[in-house]
Amino acid sequence: MFLRFVSQSIRRSPRRKAMTVAAVAMGTAVATAMLGVMLDIGDRVNRELRSLGANLMVTPKARSLPVEIGGISYRPVSVQDYIPEDQVQKIKSTFWQLNITGFSPSISASAPLDGRNVPVEGVWFRRRFRGADGAPLEAGLRTVNGAWKVDGRWIDDRDRSAGLREAPFEAMLGGAVARRIGAKPGDTLQLFGQPFTVAGIVSTGGEEEDRIFVRLEVLQRLVNRPGQVDAVQVGALTKPEDEFARKDPAKMTPKEYDRWYCTPYISSIAHQIEEVLPMAVAKPIWRVADNEGKVLGKIRGLMLLITLAALASAGLTVWSVMATTVLERRAEIAIMQATGAANGLVAALFSTEVALEGAAGGLIGSWVGLLMAEWVGRAVFQTSLETPAMLGPVVVGAAVLASIAGAAQPLRRALMLEPAVTLRGGE
Amino acid sequence: MFWTFVLRAVQFRKRRLALAFAALAVAATLATALFSVYSDIERKMRVQFRGFGANIVIAPAGGAQTVPLAAVALAEQQGAVAAPFIYTVGRVEGEPVVVAGVDFRRAGPLTNYWRVDGARAAATGECLVGSNVAAHFRLKLAHSLEVEGAPCVIRGIVSSGGAEDAQVILPFDIAAKLAGLQGVASLVQVRADGERLASVQAALASQLPGADVRLLHAVAETEANVVLKIRSTLFLLTALILAITTLCVSTNFSALVLERSQEIGILKAIGAAEKKIAALFLSESLILGVASSVAGYGAGLLVAWWIGRQIFPESAAAGVGVNYGVFLPVTGVTLAMAAAATLAAAARIWRIRPAVILRGE
Repeated sequence: MFLRFVSQSIRRSPRRKAMTVAAVAMGTAVATAMLGVMLDIGDRVNRELRSLGANLMVTPKARSLPVEIGGISYRPVSVQDYIPEDQVQKIKSTFWQLNITGFSPSISASAPLDGRNVPVEGVWFRRRFRGADGAPLEAGLRTVNGAWKVDGRWIDDRDRSAGLREAPFEAMLGGAVARRIGAKPGDTLQLFGQPFTVAGIVSTGGEEEDRIFVRLEVLQRLVNRPGQVDAVQVGALTKPEDEFARKDPAKMTPKEYDRWYCTPYISSIAHQIEEVLPMAVAKPIWRVADNEGKVLGKIRGLMLLITLAALASAGLTVWSVMATTVLERRAEIAIMQATGAANGLVAALFSTEVALEGAAGGLIGSWVGLLMAEWVGRAVFQTSLETPAMLGPVVVGAAVLASIAGAAQPLRRALMLEPAVTLRGGE
Repeated sequence: MFWTFVLRAVQFRKRRLALAFAALAVAATLATALFSVYSDIERKMRVQFRGFGANIVIAPAGGAQTVPLAAVALAEQQGAVAAPFIYTVGRVEGEPVVVAGVDFRRAGPLTNYWRVDGARAAATGECLVGSNVAAHFRLKLAHSLEVEGAPCVIRGIVSSGGAEDAQVILPFDIAAKLAGLQGVASLVQVRADGERLASVQAALASQLPGADVRLLHAVAETEANVVLKIRSTLFLLTALILAITTLCVSTNFSALVLERSQEIGILKAIGAAEKKIAALFLSESLILGVASSVAGYGAGLLVAWWIGRQIFPESAAAGVGVNYGVFLPVTGVTLAMAAAATLAAAARIWRIRPAVILRGE
């Protein structure tokens, strides 16, 4: 009987019901699309910001102060502090390994070229290796510096041996160096008494323009420091610093320390790198890290507030639509009451109907909304957004709740009125 | 007579109209707020990127070791922020240390990212030291330090995670004297507005043939990328939401006509012309549309103002993201939709047969 009432009511005026469901669906679609974009945009932008370069610098715990201007050391070579190359991969075994998008070990030296000392760096370009769990991973200059432009080609050092026998003495020149000596890809130049072939020319605009990059193993051998690394650049996806992140970890309670340790703040990632590389110090490069956090914080906050505004208006829309439908059907309510239906029954009947409409609208709306979020993600970031699986069900639930909330007040009012008064057409 | 009809229709259906009004006003609020935020998000985001410091570097080219100081003035003529830096090696307690000369007044906006304990600038007889230098020589604020025999009082300890950490930072002139140089700098850092970056670089390059004017690709490109992406995300979302809310508004207005078939029947029965009835509904819808878009516009500006204040408090002076110009588009779209929806529904007026409707079918 109860169900028949509900299904009858829906069948009797399909057009009006369709309009109600459509209105709920539209509200839900707005909410879902905004939420879908908001929940993932931080991550997307964070990845975009990684093209700024490394945000962490790992150097050996130094006993002496580096005296370097533009990559040239002005200190007579004495005992060198170093990080062992075979330890460097441990950076990818820290707690926040998935947030570390790349790292790049390097060793530096300088060599006379055209009557001037030029800094030379031995690096991994793009090295493949296996992580602790056997997963294939990549590291090297190219994993950290996405924005570098290369005229010519990158040196291929996929693994230790790749190309090492055939073409070990390849070099990539910084743009400024290349302009000064007039070198082009394919030319040959003398470094450390060895002929090097220019594979490519790197333009970055930064200090790298004045440097020469060669394979790590080659430079280690030429300067007789096998297995040693001077610095590791690390690029990490981080959470913007907040008040809590600025606290001194040494003064935290154990609970706070756990929370700090398990949040990808730049400082906690640095701390974890120092744990696996005890001979090194990891320092945030504030120029990148600080501003990255600020930009990200702004974007997250902006999207959150816009989403809140959209959610509020979507909720209001659903609420007002439902209130309207109940308002229109006051006469029906009065007839039911007049024919002896208990108030509770009428309320249950209407709530069921409203909930069904809310659910139908919510389902359609969340589907459309997810499609829209997906479309925005593809159009803007060229990848689909990762929306949490819970988003759909939660939004549908919210749509049902908003529908019932909208219907509740007019329903109560209608039930309180004398049926006779309503049927006579008055208030 | 006509207006009495319209007025009475509003009076008698207060509650119903209030709901329609609310729905419309909410839509207009959202549209105004989103448009407002969208219209100056680019400027606001670009301000955020200023913190990354320079996006152009003027470095010595060829065999030169220095660039002329005139480069600073040239860059400033282009409306950019520019500061000279000079680097040399000095002795502190018998050990060599990199000494940097910084024009603190000019470099301020370019070195925002320095984390400084103490003051950010030093006058003659004062200096800043990098955190590694401070740790190495066990220096504290207000200690005195001798660089090449000249004493200076430490005003601040800088930690940047970059080269500054291992430097002693002096006022530019003093470092230049120490290096034995005059009228030149080791490099000049320039911060130009993102939109004018390419033209500033081109102008500087042509005016300074002896120097290497480089664009810092990482900063420039990331800025351009992120700003573009945020802008287009907001644009698409605004467009989608606007489309959906106008749809919602139009169904609302159709409903306002459709649910009054009986009234239309009576009006027709007593001899009202169809056009008159349509005009009646249209003016009712337009009044509702104007009232709700004005209300929504006000509320939307408030929301935009609130968002601007919450997220970009530092640009509060510049209007906090309220864009009054969105009134016309928002009202225009709302009214056009209201009119279109009403007219579409009003087509029914011609088809309604009073006898059938009034019999209750």
